[in-house]
Amino acid sequence: MATPAAAPFQFPPTYNFPPFFTPQPNTNTREAQLQKWSSLIQAWCRHHRQYRLSLVEAVDSPLFHNAALRKRLDLREARSVIDWMTKSEEEGGGGRRAEWIDGSGGSQGPKAVAWVWWRRPEEWADVVADWVEGTGQKGAVLTVYELLQGEATESQEFYGMDNEAMMKTLNILVKRGKAQVFGSEGQEGVKFF
Amino acid sequence: MFFKSLDLTTALRPLLLPDETLLFVQDAVGLYEGKYKIPDYQDGHAYLTSHRVCYISAGDPRKHSVAIDLKEIDRAEYQARFLKSSPKITIYPKPQKSKTDKSRSATSSPAVPPPSASRPNKSLSPLPQSIISQQAAPPSHSPAPINATWICPICSFSNPVPSNFDPATATAATNLPPCLACGIKPPFTTVLKAAISAASSRDSPLPRPSSVPAGEITGSNTGNHLLPLKGESVSCPRCTFVNHPSLRECEICAAPLKGQSTSTGNGDSRVDSPAPFYAQSRIPNTEVSESIKLSFRDGGEKTFHERLNGALIQRKWLLQNAPPVPPPSQSSAQNTPGATSTTLESPQPAAPRVTAVGIAGLEQRGLEARMNNQLVIGNAFEDLEALMASAKQIVALAETLARESGMSTSEGSAETHAVLSESAAALGMVTTKDMLSSGSENLYLSELSRNLAEYLTDDRKGILQREGGIMSLIDLWSVFNRSRNGVELVSPSDFQRAAELWEKLKLPVRLRRFKSGLLVVQRYDWSDEKTVCQLQQWMDELRQVPPDEPVPWDWSIFGRAVTAQEAAQRFMWSVGVAAEELEMAEDRGLLCREEGIEGLRFWSNGLATV
Repeated sequence: MATPAAAPFQFPPTYNFPPFFTPQPNTNTREAQLQKWSSLIQAWCRHHRQYRLSLVEAVDSPLFHNAALRKRLDLREARSVIDWMTKSEEEGGGGRRAEWIDGSGGSQGPKAVAWVWWRRPEEWADVVADWVEGTGQKGAVLTVYELLQGEATESQEFYGMDNEAMMKTLNILVKRGKAQVFGSEGQEGVKFF
Repeated sequence: MFFKSLDLTTALRPLLLPDETLLFVQDAVGLYEGKYKIPDYQDGHAYLTSHRVCYISAGDPRKHSVAIDLKEIDRAEYQARFLKSSPKITIYPKPQKSKTDKSRSATSSPAVPPPSASRPNKSLSPLPQSIISQQAAPPSHSPAPINATWICPICSFSNPVPSNFDPATATAATNLPPCLACGIKPPFTTVLKAAISAASSRDSPLPRPSSVPAGEITGSNTGNHLLPLKGESVSCPRCTFVNHPSLRECEICAAPLKGQSTSTGNGDSRVDSPAPFYAQSRIPNTEVSESIKLSFRDGGEKTFHERLNGALIQRKWLLQNAPPVPPPSQSSAQNTPGATSTTLESPQPAAPRVTAVGIAGLEQRGLEARMNNQLVIGNAFEDLEALMASAKQIVALAETLARESGMSTSEGSAETHAVLSESAAALGMVTTKDMLSSGSENLYLSELSRNLAEYLTDDRKGILQREGGIMSLIDLWSVFNRSRNGVELVSPSDFQRAAELWEKLKLPVRLRRFKSGLLVVQRYDWSDEKTVCQLQQWMDELRQVPPDEPVPWDWSIFGRAVTAQEAAQRFMWSVGVAAEELEMAEDRGLLCREEGIEGLRFWSNGLATV
C-alpha cells in the first residue's frame, strides 16, 4: 500500500545492542526495553507509512530480525511487545500505540495483525480537523476517497491512509460533533462542521 | 596464681597455645575473688582448655578477659546449687612452694633430684627453731616419690614402679626393670598406667595444711618481703587485731587469717601489695591470694568440674616442654635381621648397621619404615594412655600419610591437600558437641559459629581470600568438615544455623542469601555496593578497549559482553558465585542480559541508560 521512501530507515543504536533482543528479567530494564521497541516499531511504521503490522510477516523483516547480529525477536516476543503497546500507560503499557485487529489474521489466529498508531486516532482527528479549518472547508462535503487519495490532500500526512483507519478517525470527529458520516459501505461521504 | 591477660582470636575466643586443646565451654559464668564478685566479670564464657581456665566477658570481651594457668591450680571444689545461690566451682591456687617444685620437675630431667627449695629460707631466716621444725614438714610430702606399684601381667606380682620413672617424660623406649618375681619385662603401658593412677591419687588428696588459702601478710609488712615474718603475730586483715600465729581465724571478728605463705626463691615475681580485689575492675596480672570461684548461672558446672579435674590429672602442660617421643621399642627392631635404627637418638649406638645399596637398600629402607609405622600404630592403639603418650608421633605420622596419599591420588588438588594436612594443626581448636553440656544447643551453635569465623579469617589458610572474599556455604561446609578429618562432623542444619549467628555475634564474616537462595559467606564489610562498584569499573574498562573484530554495535557505548566464567576468573570467585553476583548487578539495573547460542552473557545496561 505505502511506497517505501527513498531514504533507508535509520535504526537507533540500540537496534545493534544484542541484549535488546533478549527479554530482560529486571522490571525497570524491561520497561526501558519495551519503550525502545515501541518507539522503534512506531518509527518503522511511520517511515514505511504502514498502519497495520502483520507480525508473521514482520518477524522476518529487518524490524524484528537483525541480520548483522543474527538476532531476532521471535513471534511470541514480538507479540508481547505489541501487547505492551496496546495497554494504556496507567496499566503499565505503552500508551495504546497499538491495537489488535480481531479476526483479521485468518488462519494465523488472534493477535496476528495489529494497528500501529504512530498517531493515535484522536491525534489523526486533530490533524484532519486542523486541515479542514486551515483550508476553510467547514460545512463542505467530501468523500472519504477524496480525503485519502484526492489532490487536495496530497501534501497531508493522512494522504494514502488506510481506509479503515480513516473511518476510525472520522468516527472520533463524529463523536466530537465536528463531522457527520453518511453513505453506504465503500461510498462514505463526510460533512465537516 | 595469677590472673593473666588473654589473647583473643578474631572470633573472640581464647587464642590457644601450641598443643593446647579446648575441653569445655560454658556460658553465663560469673567470676568471684574469694567471697566477692569481681565487677565487670559477671557474665561471660568460661573456656576450659588443657592448659588454662579462661574467662571471656560476653559484653566487652577485649577488655574483660582473664586466664588462669592450670599448673598453678591446686584443686577445684564443687559447690552445689543452694536456694538462690548458683552452683560454683572454687579454684584454690597452689601454694608457692609446691609450684616451684612442680615447674622444676617439669622442665628438668626427672633423674636429677629437685633441690630442696626451702633451703634458702632455712639458712637465711633468723627464725626460732620451732618454726623451722614446722617448716620442715612440707618438703617431706611435696617431692614424694611415686609410691606406685604395677602388677606383672605374667605372674601378677606387685612390683614397685621405679623411682626414676616419670609418666610425663617416659616413653616406650625407657628402660624398665623386669618383674621381681618372674623376670619378664613389663609392657610399657602397664607401668605408665600404674604411674599415672598413682600420680592422680597423690594429686587430689584432702586439703593439706599448706594449701589452705595461701596469701601473704598485707599492709606495711610487705617491706620485709623476701623473708615473711614467720612466728610473728598475724594482724587480721579486717579488724587489724594482732592474732597468735597459730590461729586460723581472727579472734575478734572471725575473719580468715591469711596462712603464712612459704615464699621461696622466686618471691620477686610476686605482686607487691595486692589491693582489695573486689574493688578492682582491672584484674589481669594480679595475683589471686585466696581462691577463685566460677559461678555457673546456666548449668554446666558438673561437666566443667569433671573436665577440670581430668585436665589437672593429665597435666598436658608438662608436654609443652617435653622432648619429642623417641621411636619406640628398639628391642623389637633388633629382632628383625639387618634392621638398622634410622634414628639418631638410638641409645644403642653399637647396633649393627648394615649398609645396603641399590634397589635392595631402597627396599630394605621401605621395609624398615613400614615396620616402624606398624610399631608406632600398634603401640599407640594398645591403650588410650599410651595413645596420649605418643600422640605427637601419631599426628606426625598421620600428616605424612595424608601428604603421601595426596601426592599419589591427584595432581590438581595439591592445594586442597595442603590445606587439609595443615589443618591438622587447627584440630585443637574445633568445637565439638562433646565439649558442651548436652542441653546447651545454643551455646554449641554460638561456639561453632565462632569456630567457623576463626577458620575463615585465619590468615594462614586464607580460605576466604583464595575464593575472592566470597564462597558458597556448601563449599565451606565441605572444606570445614574435611578439615576435621572425619571426626566430629557438623551436620548441615547446625552448620547453617551457626552461620546465621555470625551477624548476631558481631563476627567478621557474614552470611548472604542470593535471590536464588544460594547462601554465601563473605567478609562482614563486603557489600553488594562494593561488588557493583567493581563490576562498574570493569564495564568502564571494557568500553575503553576496542574489540578484536569489528562488531555491529557501538563498542564505545555498549562495551562488550561478559560471561560468568570471565567474571569468576577476574574476581577469583567460583562460577556459581559469579553468576549470582552478575544477576545481582542485573537486578540493580547495572547490567542486562543477552541469551544466545553462546549462553547467557551480560552487558552493561545499554537499555535503560542510553
